[in-house]
This record gives sequence, structure tokens and C-alpha cells, in this order.
Amino acid sequence: MNSADFIALLPLIVPALASVVLLLLITFSRSHAVSVLFTLGSLLLSFLLLFVAGGGTPRRVTPLFIMDAYSLFFIGLLFIAGIVVAVMSSRYLGERSMERGEYYVLLLLATLGASVLAAGSHFASFFAGLEILSVSLYTLIAYRRNDDRGNEAGLKYLILAAASSSFLLFGMALVYAQTGSMDFFQLAEGGRVPDLTVVLSAGLLLITVGVGFKLAVVPFHLWTPDVYEGAPAPVAAFIATSSKGAIFALLMRYFSLMDLQRFPAVWYGIAGIAVASMLIGNLLALRQNNLKRILAYSSIAHMGYLLVAVLAGGTVAKTAVGYYLAAYFATMLGAFGVIAFLSGEEGDAENLEAYRGMAWSRPWTAGVFVAMLLSLAGIPLTAGFIGKFYVVAAGAGAALWIPLIVLVAGSTIGLYYYLRIVAVLYGRVPEGEGGAVTGFPGRVLGMTGGILLTVLTFALLWLGVYPAPLIRILQATVARLVP
Amino acid sequence: MVPLEWYIGLSTVLFVIGVVGFLIRRNILIMLMSIELMLNSVNISLVAFSHYLQDLRGQVLVFFIITVAAAEAAIGLAILISLFRNKEAVHTDEMTEMKG
Amino acid sequence: MREALWVIPTLSYLGFVVLALYGRGLTPSRAAVVGVGTVGISALLVLALAIEFMTSPPPGHAYVQVLWQWMEVEGFRPPVSLRLDALSVIMMLVITGVGFLIHLYSAEFMRGEEGYSRFFAYMNLFVGSMLVLVLADNLLLLYLGWEGVGLCSYLLIGFWYRDPENGYAARKAFVVTRVGDTAFAIALFLIFTHLGTLDIQEAMQQAGRTWGADSGMAIAAAALLLGGAVGKSAQLPLQVWLPDAMAGPTPVSALIHAATMVTAGVYLIARTHVLFALAPPVMLAVAVIGAATLLLAGFSALTQWDIKRALAYSTISQIGYMFLALGVGAWSAALFHFMTHAFFKALLFLGAGAVIMNLHHEHDMGKMGGLRTQLPLTFWTFLIGASSLSALPVVTAGFYSKDLILHNVGTSESGSLWLWGAGVLGAFLTSLYSFRMVFLTFFGEAKGKASGKPGPLIRIPLVVLAFFSLVAGLVEMPSLFAYAGLDVHLFTRFLQTTLPGITASPLPLSVEIGRELIIEALQLGGILLAYMLFLYKPGIAGVVARTPWGEALQRLWRSGWGFDRVYSVFFIRPFVWIARVNREDAVDLPYVGMIWAGFKANRFLSRTQSGKVRWYAAGIGLGALVLLGIVVLL
Repeated sequence: MNSADFIALLPLIVPALASVVLLLLITFSRSHAVSVLFTLGSLLLSFLLLFVAGGGTPRRVTPLFIMDAYSLFFIGLLFIAGIVVAVMSSRYLGERSMERGEYYVLLLLATLGASVLAAGSHFASFFAGLEILSVSLYTLIAYRRNDDRGNEAGLKYLILAAASSSFLLFGMALVYAQTGSMDFFQLAEGGRVPDLTVVLSAGLLLITVGVGFKLAVVPFHLWTPDVYEGAPAPVAAFIATSSKGAIFALLMRYFSLMDLQRFPAVWYGIAGIAVASMLIGNLLALRQNNLKRILAYSSIAHMGYLLVAVLAGGTVAKTAVGYYLAAYFATMLGAFGVIAFLSGEEGDAENLEAYRGMAWSRPWTAGVFVAMLLSLAGIPLTAGFIGKFYVVAAGAGAALWIPLIVLVAGSTIGLYYYLRIVAVLYGRVPEGEGGAVTGFPGRVLGMTGGILLTVLTFALLWLGVYPAPLIRILQATVARLVP
Repeated sequence: MVPLEWYIGLSTVLFVIGVVGFLIRRNILIMLMSIELMLNSVNISLVAFSHYLQDLRGQVLVFFIITVAAAEAAIGLAILISLFRNKEAVHTDEMTEMKG
Repeated sequence: MREALWVIPTLSYLGFVVLALYGRGLTPSRAAVVGVGTVGISALLVLALAIEFMTSPPPGHAYVQVLWQWMEVEGFRPPVSLRLDALSVIMMLVITGVGFLIHLYSAEFMRGEEGYSRFFAYMNLFVGSMLVLVLADNLLLLYLGWEGVGLCSYLLIGFWYRDPENGYAARKAFVVTRVGDTAFAIALFLIFTHLGTLDIQEAMQQAGRTWGADSGMAIAAAALLLGGAVGKSAQLPLQVWLPDAMAGPTPVSALIHAATMVTAGVYLIARTHVLFALAPPVMLAVAVIGAATLLLAGFSALTQWDIKRALAYSTISQIGYMFLALGVGAWSAALFHFMTHAFFKALLFLGAGAVIMNLHHEHDMGKMGGLRTQLPLTFWTFLIGASSLSALPVVTAGFYSKDLILHNVGTSESGSLWLWGAGVLGAFLTSLYSFRMVFLTFFGEAKGKASGKPGPLIRIPLVVLAFFSLVAGLVEMPSLFAYAGLDVHLFTRFLQTTLPGITASPLPLSVEIGRELIIEALQLGGILLAYMLFLYKPGIAGVVARTPWGEALQRLWRSGWGFDRVYSVFFIRPFVWIARVNREDAVDLPYVGMIWAGFKANRFLSRTQSGKVRWYAAGIGLGALVLLGIVVLL
């Protein structure tokens, strides 16, 4: 590893070092502000270092990492998500009496793990990144130690994630046995992928099981609502965005290197997963009254939409995935942000009924929430619409009619429950005890929340109205993924 | 020399035993043990493939797996203790506060 | 300076956003400052832009500002771009200028009303959308503005929403214009599929190349666009909504239903004039619709007792003149009349509003009278407006614009003596009903007592508009005046860069003077007749009206020629009947079934979320098994 390698890898080294330093730091000072500022600073520094690292791309750094425009884009996205989650958490933790410093260590580690996934080019870095991410998340989910639901969610996630990891590893072992390599690029080069052996297909599908669990797609989705509900709202936001986005970046890279179209069994398997996720995810959310669970089900469906683009393959599909993920990140972070900032010490603000009539007493907060919901539903002039439009364009280009029909049907079902929330927000407050006291009296977004959510909302609308700059960035980065 | 198929067979059998144990037992400790079994069956096959392919990378991955398994077990037990303090339960069927 | 073009509509939208979000928290005076101020700044900007445009015109006399590309997917590239040319400059000047004065007037007129800030929010949204409509460089953006102003019209007609009748009027306006909008939308699809572009200039050039003159496609596209224009501008046969639209506050009637929105149809035809020129039959239809509308509405205006309804019919009639001008290819004459009409009709509405406000919301002219002395300023300005509407020779703006239209209709190659005759008869009707209003409202014995006098915010707009109603016509002199050395054609020259001049065969001087004399005689005769019938000997009108024929005619005219009845019998009742009969038809079943299936599936699937880890693990195991099964099967 020479100095050029070192520079290229700096965006990953900094958060790794930062987590260790922070661990030492909190033994000296348990000041919450110090931890937050340190975390934000190191994430920001890592983000800026991406531009330094961008000079020497594409570059293989040991067989484990590939730093190219594709991975830089996704790592950048993950760092931004990490910063947003850290800001959200600072308020969330600041209002609760619990240990705080370690939380940020874990958040840094989880972001690191996700970034390793986005830059991974080898089974070893794949596995290592995945586990750094997962192990940090177990603790983050169960961070509220005295909360039964938090512990339950953490344990559920741990047991199931560990089991799914063993499926993943078994699949890796099978692929290794067939190809004699763990390096993604060696698979692609020199035709080392033997055609269509049963064992290879089986190995790829077992990897899909492990990945599918992390993405929370049907039938590996059952954990999602429970974990979202039990985890602190900022952590749920992290699981919904960074954890899934990183895996998706890796999946996209792996499958385009392997040339997914050559493995009909895998292709059909993923098609089935996509179709089932779009339908079942949306159906499950239909009558749900817990906002965090609704978002969980919604995220299942959204991963299904994204898989349609993976099935399509090609340049348009890569742009579509990049755009969709960026839009999805902004939207999900915003939606969870509203919940996180409205949550009090007695529990997260997840009960839908508590939001009834909120639009009348606090129009701005409700407006932000509505913008997020409309984007999730894919209404024009929001980022979600453009993302979905690109996915549909990619799918139509590859003539994937059945998945597309299901996508449209799923979106229609989705409209029902998104608009149901909007209807509750603008609903009439029931008359009665002490007049009209609408949800969350005394809770305000505050300065941080106001600024953060405003920025996210504007990002959302900007992406929806003026998508050209991001598309140019995507065409220069994500779409140029080899081959 | 023992043929490769035997190793694959052994590891598959162990993996399936692990999966079955994982699915039918309710005690979280035993479920964690089943997961260890599944991971170790993968380790066996990886070592075997590595030896068969004359390639060390498989064995390196095994070290990764052993490390991670230890970390997972540690955190799993920690969360379990915390849960036990609150609920005095180690059975999964009693962890159904969230559903629907 | 030109680069600031985008600021103009944005300002109004900004005002809307502020008022919509924080309107409840603002005091009325602050809300008014936001609402009036944003439009006022826009008006100043437009003025500066217009002066720059006239002194140093951009290359090609048009400036296109591409704001951004909305999206770009395989050939479909709708850009969001604005176009500044002579046509849009004129439109913007009127929209922001008159719009500002009406906003100013509203600040006092609407004072104390419930929803004061809501009113200004809608008004700002309207001004913004109207500006987008006239600035749009492609049909998609134009359509966006078109629908935006339609929405605002709906919201403002139903502004006093507690009265169900206002809601009905709003819905009627929305539904009737929707008929036209649908035709417009189909025209857009047609143009995009056949010409491959929605850019207006490009589409116009393409139309000439691919379709050619008098081809079926050009006629179809122009006819569909005409459908949209007819709906928006309340022309035959879709004029029925405008009289009812008077249910909205008077400033709304002045701004939306007189000065600006209802003339959007005129603008649309002028903007796509190349296409219309390719379709002579449609041009003839435009002229005939205009002539018929101006006559029918003129008769209806004659019999109204509600002062606002009389003005509404007058608006329909005056837009008929604009259509008549468009139909004979006199594009700039139509725009000229649009401009003068915006001034004097806004003035008349605002004057009527002042009268209504001071008479405790009395709309009935039969219960007014003698207000000349009680409200002198309102009287004088209203008189100026009515004179301008009646095209009183030389001193009023209406004279110059109406004279240009009639002159063009008489001399254009596509005009005819019949159309000219209709226009002249209409001019007679116009002065008759205008001065009927003046005499009934301001002369005779006082039947009501005015409560107080209008404040300065009402007086200023009245005076300014009265000024323009007198002098705005001086920029364009009749061709006869050229003999007297007054060869002034500033308006048509200015528009020449965008709208081509008319192909006319010059008439001998004697014929022209003869025609001019006929027109003036009829116009002045109309005023005289109004004086005879409604002031000097009011009995005569009563006698005529009481004869059986007179009574029947009066009823027919007052109801707007019975269009509402006809539509009710032929469209509304059958439709309601079918809907009622079909209430429980089989078509609903699949939808109900889908909802039922969705909820059932939801209930079933919710049971899979049992919260049990073993069950969740089984899901993973099962999934792995199924995936491996696929491998075995394939």
C-alpha cells in the first residue's frame, strides 16, 4: 500500500480512526456537545476527503476495495445520511437521560461499515463491512436499555441477522468453490465465471438471501416493522437509509460484474422477490396505525421498486438506482426526522392518531411531513416522482412488463396509506375535554429540527423540480460503473 | 486424503442441523448456539475449499468469521441480559410486544 | 435587466406562499402590504423591462430565458422557459398594472372581511399564474398557467363559501371552462404527437412545414385550440358561466372576469396565430363566434337589473369584438381592444363595487338612482368608463380600439359586410346599455342612501384607471386621422415584430367617411335613446316591456338567451338521470372488489407479523428454500 493508495482510502480511514479517538475521548469528557461536534466534524472531514480521493480514481486499494466514481458517490451519500442522523440524534439523546458518547462511536462505526460495503470489491470486505454495520446496529437498536421494546427489537434483529449472515457465508463458500476466487473483478475478468452450474446459481441465491434480509425484501422482511418500532427514531432512519443503500450499492456492483442476465435462476428469483415486495409491502401498510411501522412497510415496497431497476440492468438503470436512492434517502430521513423531533421522553411520536389536525396548529411541520409523504408516494414535483419515473423508464426499456404492472399497482395501493396520513394531518380535531388540543402540545421542532427539515424539504423539491444537476453527477459517477 | 465431497456433505449436514435447531428451539441461548453451528459449518467448507483450491484466501475469511461470531455472541448475550433484567424471560415466544 | 424576467412571476408566487403559510398570523394591514406590495414591485419591474424592451430591443425582438430543463428522458425534454416579446410585454403591462390597482382597491374594499389574507393569497396566486401563462415559451407551461388561473377563478368565485349559491357558481365556472380545457389538452397531444415539440415557436414553424395551409390536421388543431379559448373567454356556446361568476367579490370580477383571465383565449389565439392562419375555416368560425357573441350578449346586457351581471354581459360582448378582430386576422387590433377594455372595464367594475359597497351590498339598479350627487367621484369615473365603453368619439380610449376593429373588419380580405354590420349594431347596443346603467344608477330620484364615501385606496385606482380609459387610445389613431396629419400607429408598429399586420384592400375616402359617420351616428343614437328611455320618459320603456312580445323578449334576453335552460334540458338532466339510474352498476364491482381484496389481504398478511422470532426465521428459511427450488427447476 503506497501513499496514493492511502490517499484514496482516506475517506474510510478517517471515520475508522475517529471512532477509536471518540472512544478515548469519552473516557475524558462525557460532554454530549463534544461528542456530537466531534462526530459531525469527522464525518464532514471524511466527506471533504472524498474530493481529494476523487483525484486518483478509479483505484484498486488492495484486493479489498475499489475507489471509483461509483463508490465515491455512494460513500458521499452515506456520509450525508450519517450527518443528518447525527444531528437528529443530538436532539433525541440530549432530551433523554442515558449514556450518550458511545452512541456516536457506534454511529461512526455503522457509517464506516456501510461505506466499506459501497467500496467493497471482495467477499472479505463485503462480509467485514456488513458485520461492522450490523454489530453496531444491534447495539444502537437496543440503545435504550430500560425499554422493553428496544431490547426486544435489538435481539430480534441480532438473531435473524446472524442467521441470515450464515446463509450469506454459505453462499459465498459455494461461489468460492466454483470460481476459486473471492474477488469481484477477477470474476468478471478472464471469463472465470463458469456458465450456469447449479452450485454457482445456488451460491448466488444464498447470497441473495443474506442481502435480501438486509434490504428487508419479501420474504425476508418480517423483522422490519418490529425493529423500526423498537429502535430509537434516528436509528430507524439509519436502518431505513444507510444500511439499505450501502447493501444496494454493493449488490448493483456485484450483479453488474457478474452479468446477472446470464443466470436465469437468480434473475427469476430476484424478479419474484421484487414483485412480492412491491405488493406485500404496500398491502401490509394499508391499515397500519403506527407511523414507524408504516414507514417500515413502505421501505419494503421501495426496495422492491429499486430491484426492478436492477433487473433491467444497463446505464439508465444505474442512473435510476442512484437517483432513486438519493431521493429515498432525503425522503426517509425527513419522515423519520419529523417523528424523531416530535418524540418526547414518554416514547416515540409514532401513533398516527396523535397527529390528527396537526396541520392547523403547526402548518410548517405538517407541511414538511406532507412533502415527505408525497415524495414517498411519487407525486410529481417531488424527488420521489423523478426517481420512480426513471425506474419505470429503465424497466420499460428492458420490457419488464409484469414487474412494471405490479409497480404501478403497488404505487396505487401506496397512495391510499400515504394520503391517509395526510388526511389525518388535516383532519378535524375531535371536540371534547378542554377544547382543541392537537397532537404534541409543547413539542416544537426547535432550531436544529427546523433547519434540518427545511433543508431536506428543499432538497426534495429541488430534486423534483430541477433534477438535471444530480442526473449529470450520476451520469459522471454511477452510470460509469464498469462494465 | 478425504475427498472434497465428504467435507461438503459434513458442512451441509451441520448447516441443516443448525437451521433446524434455530427454527424449532425457543430458548434464545440455544438459538445462538445453533447460529454458531451454522457459521462453523461454513468455516469447515471454506477451509476444505481453500485446501482443495490451494488458495489461502478461504482460510483468511474463516478468521473473519470466527472474530465476527465472537462479537455477535457477546453483544447477543449482553442484550439478552438486559432483556432478562426487565422481563425475566429467555424464550422468544415471550418477546412479542410488537406485532401487526 | 432582461435577466430579471423570472423574478416577475416569482414575486407573486412568493407573496402567495407567505400569505398561505403565515396569513393567519399576519395583521390585515401586513397581509395587504405583502399582497399589494409584491404585485406592485412586479408592476414596476415590468415597466422597467418594457421601457428597456422599447428603447433597446433584444436581437430578433424576442428574448427567451431558459430557466431549467425539467427532466430529460429519451426525447421528452420539457424546458421551463419564459419568452419576452412585444406580445408578452403588452400582456404583462396590463396584468401587473391593472392588477396592482385592483389589489390596492381590494385592500380597502375587502377590509373587515373574513379571510382577508386568504383573499390576497388567491389574488397573488392568480397574478403569478397569469404571468406564467403569458410568459410561457412552450405550450406545457402555458397550460400550467392556464389551469392555474382557472383554479384561482374557481377559488375566488367561491370566496364567500358559506353561501352554497356561490359554491354552485364556482363549480359551474370550473366545469364549463373544463369543457374548453379538455379541447385544449387534446390540441396539445395532437401537436406533440404530430409535430414532436411543444415549444410554441418551433411548433408554429413545424406546422407550416408539415401540415401546410388548409390541411385537415391544421384545421383540427386550430379548432381544438379555439375550443379552449372559447371556454376561457366565455364565448358562444360556453359563455354561460361568466354572469354567474359575479358571485365573487367585485375586485375579483374586475381583475379576473373582466381585465385579464377571460382574455386568455384572445391571447392564446394571438400567440398561435400562425396555426390559425393555416386554417381559414376556423378563422371564419372565430369571426362568426365573435360577431354572434357580441350581439347576443349585448341584448342580454340591456335587460339586466343586477349591475354586475350587466357588466358581465358587456364583458362577454366586448371579448366578442376581440374574437371578431382575431377572426379577420387583425391580431393587433384585438390586442389593442384588450388593453383599452382592461382599463375601462376594470374601472366600471371598481366603480360598481364602490356603489355596491356604499349602498349596503345592493346590486339591483332598480333600487339605485340619484347617486350622482352622493358619490361624485364614483359618478365621474364611472361616466368616463361608460363613455369609453360606448366608444365616445375622439376623447375616449374605447373609440380608438373599437374603431380599429371595425375598420379592419370592413377592409380585411377575410372580413365581410355582414360581420361589419354586426359589429356596428353591437356598437349601438353597447352605448345603449352603457348609458342605461349610468342613468339608472346615478340619475333620477335617489332611492337609496349612500353610507359614507370611498376612501383613498378606492379613489386612487378609480382616478388612475379613468385617466387611462381616456388617453390609452392615443397610441393608435384611426386611418382617417392620417388625412389630418395624425398618422400615429405606435401600437401596431410595436406589435409588428410578433403579430403580422393585416392584408387589407384600401377603401375610397368617401366610403370610409360614410362608414365612420354611420358608426358615430349609431353610437350617439344609442346614448340618446338611453336618455329617452331611461331618464327623460321612463314610461316608454315600461310600455314596450309590458306588451306580450316585449315581455317574452325581455325574459329571453335577461336569461342570456336561455342557454342555461337548453343545457339543463339536454346535458345536465340526462346526465344526472343516467348517473342516478346507474348508481349501483356493475362497473363499480371490480373497484369495490379490489378494495375489499386489498383489506382482506392486509388482514391476512398482518397475521404474518406475529412478532415471533421463530416465525420470522421460518420466513427466511422458506425464502431460501424457494430460491433454491428455482435453481433446481431451471
